[in-house]
Amino acid sequence: MAGVELKSIVKAYGAVQVVHGIDLDVQEKEFVVLVGPSGCGKSTTLRMIAGLEEISDGELTIDGRVVNNVAPKDRDVAMVFQNYALYPHLNVAENIAFGLRIRKEGQKAIDDAVEEVSGILGLRDYLERRPADLSGGQRQRVAMGRAIVRRPKVFLFDEPLSNLDAKLRTQMRAEIKRLHKRLGVTSIYVTHDQVEAMTLADRIVVMHDGRIEQIGTPMELFLNPVNSFVAGFLGAPPMNQIKGKIVAGSNGPAADLGGQHIALAPLPGLQNAVGREVIVGVRPEYAQIVTEKQDGAIMGELDLVETLGSEALLHMSVGGAPFVIRTETLGNINKLEAVKGFTAAPELIKVFDAKTGMALSGQTRVE
Amino acid sequence: MTNMNLYSRGDKMFVILNMVLIALFTLSTLYPFIYIASLSMSTGFEARAGNVILTPVGFTLEAYKQVLSEPQFWNSYKNTFIYTIGGTLMSLAFIIPGAYALSRPQLYGRRFWNLMVAFTMWFHAGMIPFFLNMRDLGLLDSYFGIIIGFAVNGFNIILLRNFFEGIPQSFEEAARMDGANEFQVLWKVYLPLSKPAIATVALFCVVSRWNGFFWAMVLLQDDSKIPLQVYLRKVIADLSDDEEFATSLLNAAYSFETVSAAIIVCSIIPILLIYPFLQKYFSKGILLGGVKE
Repeated sequence: MAGVELKSIVKAYGAVQVVHGIDLDVQEKEFVVLVGPSGCGKSTTLRMIAGLEEISDGELTIDGRVVNNVAPKDRDVAMVFQNYALYPHLNVAENIAFGLRIRKEGQKAIDDAVEEVSGILGLRDYLERRPADLSGGQRQRVAMGRAIVRRPKVFLFDEPLSNLDAKLRTQMRAEIKRLHKRLGVTSIYVTHDQVEAMTLADRIVVMHDGRIEQIGTPMELFLNPVNSFVAGFLGAPPMNQIKGKIVAGSNGPAADLGGQHIALAPLPGLQNAVGREVIVGVRPEYAQIVTEKQDGAIMGELDLVETLGSEALLHMSVGGAPFVIRTETLGNINKLEAVKGFTAAPELIKVFDAKTGMALSGQTRVE
Repeated sequence: MTNMNLYSRGDKMFVILNMVLIALFTLSTLYPFIYIASLSMSTGFEARAGNVILTPVGFTLEAYKQVLSEPQFWNSYKNTFIYTIGGTLMSLAFIIPGAYALSRPQLYGRRFWNLMVAFTMWFHAGMIPFFLNMRDLGLLDSYFGIIIGFAVNGFNIILLRNFFEGIPQSFEEAARMDGANEFQVLWKVYLPLSKPAIATVALFCVVSRWNGFFWAMVLLQDDSKIPLQVYLRKVIADLSDDEEFATSLLNAAYSFETVSAAIIVCSIIPILLIYPFLQKYFSKGILLGGVKE
């Protein structure tokens, strides 16, 4: 097993720089997820780690060895591709064994390895089949089998579940998690799906426009995003963000949201901030519904109720800004249509500078 | 279900016209085969008299006996096989790596090299410079000269290059991650995935080599090395001017027309035999590069 270290890694295509000097230290056996919107540089970063893209500047280290100029085959990393990239002319067993054959392993060692890996991934009944005869989930397993059979130092996953339907994606996500627990191989996983990032990662790296916005555990990022981008990216539905202004409330700082005041926690970042333009962030699950006007509540207009079974999403308009509340249906089902606003605990409200987007409020503790 | 009238009068006329044209085209393509086959199985007298039109007249296989008993025929047949098999293998040995290299985005000067290959499709050095070139290289009157001299064809390279370019890059990347070098990527991934394209190019080469006549005639003086097509030409040219031979044939069951026709039939049999098995690749190959799958 090995760690992976990126020091000021830059990727440029001619004059166009797409990755701007990122630093990342992936620990041995860690599962790190690179997440971000399309074009943020996450796949390019992964491909630089794989050796499929040249590194324009900076230093990449795998297991303590600088590998900037080392060919992919000599980096001892394995990659699972978005489109599986299974060789269509080979059957499952041959696909899994391909890397071992290239490395001229003995037939006995190959047979044993294929037997073991196909057992781990539940592929023993499909060894003679061609990729075209497999379902999407089975193909994904074969792709993983091809990666793990070589026992590489690092696994790289490039959006491996994005071609699967929602149900299969959930199932395969769990399988990847189990596999990582079992094998303990350092893994770097790229996705634009924040649910995958939250469920799989030991640490998440949020990327935007070729830069790292924040690195942390899923709950650190969820509770304490460093800026409004991270706050808006993680969480489903994402954090509500309403423009406002800091005012002095009766019991401490508050934010004026178009004439309505919402109380904020008396945190250091908000001292002497009266009059400052801010973005107030409230997670949909931290907003409590109210059905009639009350002190401290922010009132709005209910546009739509989406009932999901155990919970419902209430789409509201607060001072013209969209606002989503996630609430349990149990005990609330009869009053969902009557919701007129929300309240939120001050310590769970995030405040960001309106110009820079950086967080002003303090840390919410992960407990 | 009633048979609904889905076609207008104009549509029907169009279909009928198409069928008539296709039938005429088929007949015009097929008739020479039928005529030559009939001629080869007719008596020399009837052939000379021009009585053979559609079916053999005075059925006889005498012309075939004459052809098959001629050692020079078998020698030419052997030569044609050597030029066809050797030439096709040699062509593939050049065309496949060439096309693969030109399909690689990382090839330095890729546009220039592609242009150079495409250039040869429109501009040639011409017959005399090529002949002099072959002479200076000592490749006249040699099997190797015929095989190597026409091994590389720009059209086939571009055809195969386009097919390679259509293969998703992730296959190559997966193979490289699995430890494959450039040659292994080509050999173990691209070639198996390109069987239809390679079969098409091989078929183009086979047909072109089998029918190769002009350059063999120009470059080969030694009769023991000429291919079937040149032998056929020789038979037709030599015997048709040979009055003594013509006189000797007056009462024979064969004539130089029937003998020539028998040689032609013998020469097209191998291609006719393999074509049905390769037809799917042939028609697929015509579309290669035109549409990305």
